[in-house]
Amino acid sequence: MKTRLVALLLLVGLLTVCAPVFAHHGNVAYDETKIVVVKDAKVTKFMWTNPHCLILFDAADEKGNVVHWAVEGGSPSALAPAGWTRNSVKPGDVVTVYLHQSKAGTPVGRETKIVLADGTELSDR
Amino acid sequence: MTNRLVECSVAGLIGVLALSSIAVAQTSQPRQATGQQSATATASTAGAGQAGSEIEGKGQQMPHYKYAGPPGPAPKQDLSGEWGGPLSAAKVDPVPPMTAWGQERFAANKSNQKINVADSNDPLDTCDPLGFPRNALWESRGIAFAKMPDKVVELFQYEKVWREIWTDGRALPKNVGSDIPNSPDPRYYGYSVGHWDGDYTLVVDTVGLDDSTWLDNAGHPHSGDLHVNERYTRVDQHTLEMTVTLDDPKVFTRPWMAGQTTFKWIPEQQFDEQLCIPSHMQDYYKLLANPAAGVGTK
Repeated sequence: MKTRLVALLLLVGLLTVCAPVFAHHGNVAYDETKIVVVKDAKVTKFMWTNPHCLILFDAADEKGNVVHWAVEGGSPSALAPAGWTRNSVKPGDVVTVYLHQSKAGTPVGRETKIVLADGTELSDR
Repeated sequence: MTNRLVECSVAGLIGVLALSSIAVAQTSQPRQATGQQSATATASTAGAGQAGSEIEGKGQQMPHYKYAGPPGPAPKQDLSGEWGGPLSAAKVDPVPPMTAWGQERFAANKSNQKINVADSNDPLDTCDPLGFPRNALWESRGIAFAKMPDKVVELFQYEKVWREIWTDGRALPKNVGSDIPNSPDPRYYGYSVGHWDGDYTLVVDTVGLDDSTWLDNAGHPHSGDLHVNERYTRVDQHTLEMTVTLDDPKVFTRPWMAGQTTFKWIPEQQFDEQLCIPSHMQDYYKLLANPAAGVGTK
């Protein structure tokens, strides 16, 4: 079990290294060396638009204060083949967000994957 | 970029090997929680050459189209229809050395590949037209050709723009943008003429390009003297090969083939709608780009 967990973490780490050059902007502003996982993220807005889809959500920080987050994803043309639609996420949905956070430490980032409440995964790599 | 590709390949390979060890461990086990499944799925994507990611300059990310049967032969002198392509053309020649003028312009173009979007001056970030040939080399997910009397019209999925390729034998305009009275204005999408080389290749020449546009996301400039030559070869009923060659002696010390793309016939013959929307771009700056750079307001 432990060996499997280590291998799993190794994979996640390596996949993070492999971040491709994204479509419209470089990701200079984001720390791509690690993935931040935000659980119990309550979606407040989902913008299915070019050049990047945006997901706005609220999540509690370590102290329990509500933080307003914003993450960008690929364009609809890029996400649709991966199973995303404009209705994938709605305000009120509670999801888990995997993201590269801004180097400035602000609550913004570039999401790499979201996991819906029913376990459905929507990847953005 | 090359180093990164090597790193990715090595990492991908290691990922596949690591994945194999997990797969072996799991063969005799019932399905586990979603978390482990997801790692498996993601890792196999990485091992398979990052299908689902979009890597610039690689000409990859072809949509998977389904056809009833094998393609028939190419019709003669006919590119009509809608074609699906990758995010960007595959790079062919490396960018040649630039002249002093070219280098100065290049330095002034602050690409968002290198710095925060908030600090970039890429005209794309304000939804300015991509212009030609940037829109042939990048954001090339959909192009279409249609015949009109005396010309072929090319339509672009990105930004829903079009350009005219005159096939009536006329010459390219001269002295575009010059001080000579009545000379034509420069255009973002230039002036194009085309002729057939045999039955399957349309050769397009373009001049008169407004130098406001960038050549690529790195911010390479072009001058109003740029001459673009494209070749579109219909290989078979479902396959269209494009090459783009640039000649701009004011900027580059030699002509070069900047990109090559294989387009595939779109079975449904329908594009996505893909626009750059200024108000959405403003939201993007307010919600993402500026906070990401630690900037208060735009």
